[in-house]
Amino acid sequence: MNARIALALVTATALSAQAIPSRPEKLEFAPIVFRTPLARELKARLRNGIPVYLAPAGREGTPLVRVSVAWRGGAYLDPRGREGLAKLFGSQLVQGGSAALEAAQLEDRLEAMAATLTSACGETTGSLSLQVLDKDLDAGLELLLQSLTAPAFAQDRLDLAKRQARQAVSRRNDAVTSIASYQFNFLLHGEDHFASREPTSASLDALTREDLKAFHTRVLDPANLVVTVSGSFERKAMLARLDRALGALKPGPGAAAKVPPSTFARKPGIYFTAKDAPQAMVTWAMPGLRRSDPDWHAAYVMNQLLGGPGFTSRLMKTIRSNEGLTYGVYSSLGPGPYWRGDIVGRMQTKNRSVAYALRLALAEMHKLKETAAPVDELKVIQQGIIESFPSQWPGRQAIVTRFAEEALQGWPEDWWADFREKIQAVTPADVQRCARKYLDLDRLVVLVVGKAGEVLPGDPDHPGALRDVAPLPFTELPLRDPQTLQPR
Amino acid sequence: MAVSKVLVSALAAVLASSLPAQQLPIVERTLANGMRLVMVERHDQPTIAFGWMARVGSANERPGITGLAHLFEHMMFKGSKTLGTRDARRDAELNDLQDRVQARMRAEMSLLREQQRRGAIPDMMDPRARTPRLAKLIEEYEALVREQRALVVKDEMDQIYTQAGATGINASTSQDRTFYIVGLPSNKLELWMWIESDRIANPVFREFYSERDVILEERRQTLESRPGGLVGEAFNAMTWMAHPYTWEVIGWPSDIAQVTREQANEFFATYYAPGNLTAVLVGDFDAEKAAAMAERYLGRIPAGRNPVPEVTTLEPPQPAEQRMIADVETTPSIQVEYKTVSAVHRDAAAFAALGGILGGAQVYGGRPGPGSARVPTGRLHKALVLERKVATGASAAFHGEKYGGTFALRATPGPGHTPEELEPLLHAEVERIARDGVTPGELQRFKNATQVGFYTRLETNSGIRETLAQALAVGTVQDFQEAPGRIQAVTVEDVQRVARQYLTPNARNVLITHRKAGDARPRTQNAEVK
Repeated sequence: MNARIALALVTATALSAQAIPSRPEKLEFAPIVFRTPLARELKARLRNGIPVYLAPAGREGTPLVRVSVAWRGGAYLDPRGREGLAKLFGSQLVQGGSAALEAAQLEDRLEAMAATLTSACGETTGSLSLQVLDKDLDAGLELLLQSLTAPAFAQDRLDLAKRQARQAVSRRNDAVTSIASYQFNFLLHGEDHFASREPTSASLDALTREDLKAFHTRVLDPANLVVTVSGSFERKAMLARLDRALGALKPGPGAAAKVPPSTFARKPGIYFTAKDAPQAMVTWAMPGLRRSDPDWHAAYVMNQLLGGPGFTSRLMKTIRSNEGLTYGVYSSLGPGPYWRGDIVGRMQTKNRSVAYALRLALAEMHKLKETAAPVDELKVIQQGIIESFPSQWPGRQAIVTRFAEEALQGWPEDWWADFREKIQAVTPADVQRCARKYLDLDRLVVLVVGKAGEVLPGDPDHPGALRDVAPLPFTELPLRDPQTLQPR
Repeated sequence: MAVSKVLVSALAAVLASSLPAQQLPIVERTLANGMRLVMVERHDQPTIAFGWMARVGSANERPGITGLAHLFEHMMFKGSKTLGTRDARRDAELNDLQDRVQARMRAEMSLLREQQRRGAIPDMMDPRARTPRLAKLIEEYEALVREQRALVVKDEMDQIYTQAGATGINASTSQDRTFYIVGLPSNKLELWMWIESDRIANPVFREFYSERDVILEERRQTLESRPGGLVGEAFNAMTWMAHPYTWEVIGWPSDIAQVTREQANEFFATYYAPGNLTAVLVGDFDAEKAAAMAERYLGRIPAGRNPVPEVTTLEPPQPAEQRMIADVETTPSIQVEYKTVSAVHRDAAAFAALGGILGGAQVYGGRPGPGSARVPTGRLHKALVLERKVATGASAAFHGEKYGGTFALRATPGPGHTPEELEPLLHAEVERIARDGVTPGELQRFKNATQVGFYTRLETNSGIRETLAQALAVGTVQDFQEAPGRIQAVTVEDVQRVARQYLTPNARNVLITHRKAGDARPRTQNAEVK
């Protein structure tokens, strides 16, 4: 006992002798080797050509398996007057039951196995996903296959989904955030592109089971599908299982049509929609670039410096930390899978602060163009992206999901392999060049949704009206009717 | 007799399929100064999910300083004597000078408060209501801020972490705890020790007063601008009569705007003593080495002298049903809420089961994607949404906190139906369980779904960190390890008993909302009624 105490004391003394460095920069860290996961190493093909990404868990895993079938196809395929079709198809693929099992029976089977089967469809892709205990894999796969190949789209479930969708439509004008969302899409993409078209009460009324069936036929083709599997399974046996189940899918109408690019001729300007609320929603956009552009990595670093996540960006330092004008302000660079992405900024601030906060944001963009960023500041951003790279791949499910999404979008396989090297190579001159090229204030679209009496005149403590924030045309946009999305 | 025999064999069949719980290899240590470490080694990938928790939240506040626990969370990112300034001595002087001007500003604000009390001005916070003296003091104060800003190294702690590859640098405050988290590559264990021990041992709450404005914006964004946000706050305040759970974590606006650095210092000294702190580390490290390093770094935080004050107020039994009827600019709704038991109460697991059976089990998983995800399967959904078709959504859930909990039923009437129409249907489902109980089959399904939920939360470092933190905020490591077993031990009798014992008419709090006529009212006639 005494010996143990003595030993503990010696250890404690030895440790306290190791002085704590006065600054964190004096600490030294052993290097970490992290190999970028490669899609081609996880990929296999079923006999009908469907690509499968498989990531079996290690010893520390749980007894769960996740199988997901993702497809190319979404709201961009909605016929005019049938807006909402892809989204309803997405929910009803599972919720509407299958030819073999009524919806309630299917739910009962899943519940009895503590399994989940979910489906959803967005703008350009959708997926059907199973989570099941490994012991119930066969039964779970059978249910997934039934939903995928023979969905029933039960009328009563469709009616319920339409009632829920009508209520969502009626909530459109309730919050500044949802108003900003639809107004901004119209400003960026015009009235006729899928990116701005949304369900209306008329389009929901018009949608029928036949529309859902036709959408299903159009999407269900091996050329259109990608499968991912992660969790507790053995690769070879899983491939054989999937080949029996999904490899037998016969060719249908072929791959889905290409996603139409947005070609709307935007009108740069400051736009305002009146809505009584304690805080205004501010959104802005400038045309960015596609991820395949040689400028991408430099533009990515530039945007992180301007308005990336966390507190390190210039917008956050100025508008939140210094001025206390917002809870958060961010700028994001859209990867533009189908057309040039946008550099989009967002913040919420009390109505009277909008004009001042916007002036501060524009000044930060101006500064990036005028003066090359200091090497030290850039280094924080670059090292941050590089050092946090391992955490961008937080688990097997996340890895295969990313690979499947990129495959559906048509990105080159293993685009990430040299990502860190390319970020490292970005120079202050590159960042300044990208700021000048992409922070094009002549092509800026700004939308503010908030309380007219306070937003328009601005803050008496920082005088300046909203319309004078930038030398751009000023336009008041009326709210749209939530049911029809037509301007009032 | 024959019927019960069938029941028994069916029960045996489902019980046979009950799922094994996973025990995590948790290592616990207590440092010499009283701070606790809870560690889980996982060598799957080269990252560590870090967190440390102070057992303090809005429940430890009182009127006048509501929102301080959360304000404090923001202040902990402002640096230390070493990090965040180029000149620590002048920085400290400027903080003092700012405090003095702010004290004089408060004296002016007192005069305005008096004027508002007498109805001479409508809002003391309106810039137009400022006295000339106050306007001059504001100028004086802002000059001091500008001088300090020239010395500040902006968010230096955040920058050092970011450059080191940190993700999810954040913190959160609940009613019962404040939790500071970050994810780092596994070679940065010592960096975490350095930064966190520095900011606990040598904090400086610089930029204190401008941060109050950030929080007022946070309140506008997360509560006031949300349709129904203010009504939700008022309903919660009505439900809890005496206990500090009555105010929101973010606090009342007038308290946020007036809180002082002195109050913050006192709060820190009281609640951030090492004996009230627990660190949680999950990921790729050696627990013994980490414990030794923690003794060296976190061990330098001086032990507090006084024990942390307890929350002594007990919520009295509710003498009568309470009801709030509000116009809100969104889809109508009904909510029935009962105050119940704490998260570690012996009846908590039975309440979780009641919530799962009425509201649908919480099964996590599936591929994240747009649109609706899982299909709800609870009794309320089946009765109100699928069978009677009077609602478009219906749910129920138990929510257990440290000092108490709630059990809430919620429903959204479908187009053409009203919340008033749904209310008796919600009560009827509760009464049916109080009268007839639940079936062994549905209880077993709840248990299995909950076990799967445990699996999914224990798949990632951050998932384990959050689940552990949730348990440690209200109890101990033992509560975490025993949680799956407590769920498995619930009987059908337990579920029926808690429904009978707690969910009585007098204990109800009912919130009915109707759509407020406004911009969203459909111009096309009856468009919502289809």
